[in-house]
Amino acid sequence: MIGNDIVDLQLAKTQSNWQRKGFLEKQFTEEEQQTILNSKNPFLQVWLFWSMKEAAYKCYVQEHQKRFFAPKKFKCKILSNTEGIVQINSFNYSLKIILSDFYIHSLAVKNKNKKMVSALFFINKKSSQTEITNQYLLSYFSDEVKLHKNEVGVPFLYQQQKRLPVSISTSHHGDYGGFAFTLENEF
Amino acid sequence: MTKEKLIIKLKVIVKPYIQDEEAFKNLTEETDFINDLKINSANLVDVILDVEDEFEIEIDNDSMEKMLSVKAAIEIIEEKLSA
Repeated sequence: MIGNDIVDLQLAKTQSNWQRKGFLEKQFTEEEQQTILNSKNPFLQVWLFWSMKEAAYKCYVQEHQKRFFAPKKFKCKILSNTEGIVQINSFNYSLKIILSDFYIHSLAVKNKNKKMVSALFFINKKSSQTEITNQYLLSYFSDEVKLHKNEVGVPFLYQQQKRLPVSISTSHHGDYGGFAFTLENEF
Repeated sequence: MTKEKLIIKLKVIVKPYIQDEEAFKNLTEETDFINDLKINSANLVDVILDVEDEFEIEIDNDSMEKMLSVKAAIEIIEEKLSA
C-alpha cells in the first residue's frame, strides 16, 4: 500500500484560509493544534500535517476500499525533518516528507522496507494536471499499461485487462504533480 | 425547507471551490464533491464550515465523515435541521 500527496504552498495560501474559525478544530487533534499554534511557521505546519494525513488516507483507502472524510482520525507524529508516522485506529503508516520552499510532498507506506519509486515534477498550468501526472507515471511502464481508478477512487495499473500487482498513487496540486508506486507485488 | 431549496443553497456554497464547471452545471443529488466537482479535499472542510454557518447547524465528526456527496450533505442538513 502506498499513498502520496502534494501541496503547492503558493496555491495553499490563496485556496484555503487555515485561520478561519473551525478550520483547525475540525481537522486536527488537540496535540496537532498545539504544535501548529506553537510553531514558528504555523502555515507550513498546517499543510505538513494535512499532507501527511492525506497520503496516509490514500494508503488506508487502498487497504479498506471505503471513502470517508475524517482527517482528525489520522494522528500525525513528526520524527525528523524527513520522517513521520500517521496512525489511524490500530494502523500505522510510515511517512517520508520532502519539504521545499515551494511544495510539500508526503509519501506514506504501510511497510517501510518495501522498495518504491516516487517522483515530483513541475506542471505547466495550461495542461490537464491529471493527464500529465498519469503520463509521467505511465512512462515508467510499457506502452500497453493503462491507469484506471475503481469505484472508490483507488488507482490501479492494467496491462491488457489484467491488473498489475503493484500499489500506485498519484497527486497534483497547483504547479506540481507527483506519484509513487511499489516495486514489489502487493496483491 | 424543500429538497430543491436545499440543493440551490448548497450549490451557492460549493461554487467557490469547484474545479469542474460542467459537473457543477449539471449538479444533481448524485453528484460527488470530489470525484465530480473536483473539489480539493483541503477545501472540503470549507464546504462543511460554510454549511454550518448557512444553516446554523453543527456537523459532528460522524456526520462529517460521510459528507462526500450532495446526497449525503442533504441528508445530514435535513437531519440536523429537524433535530
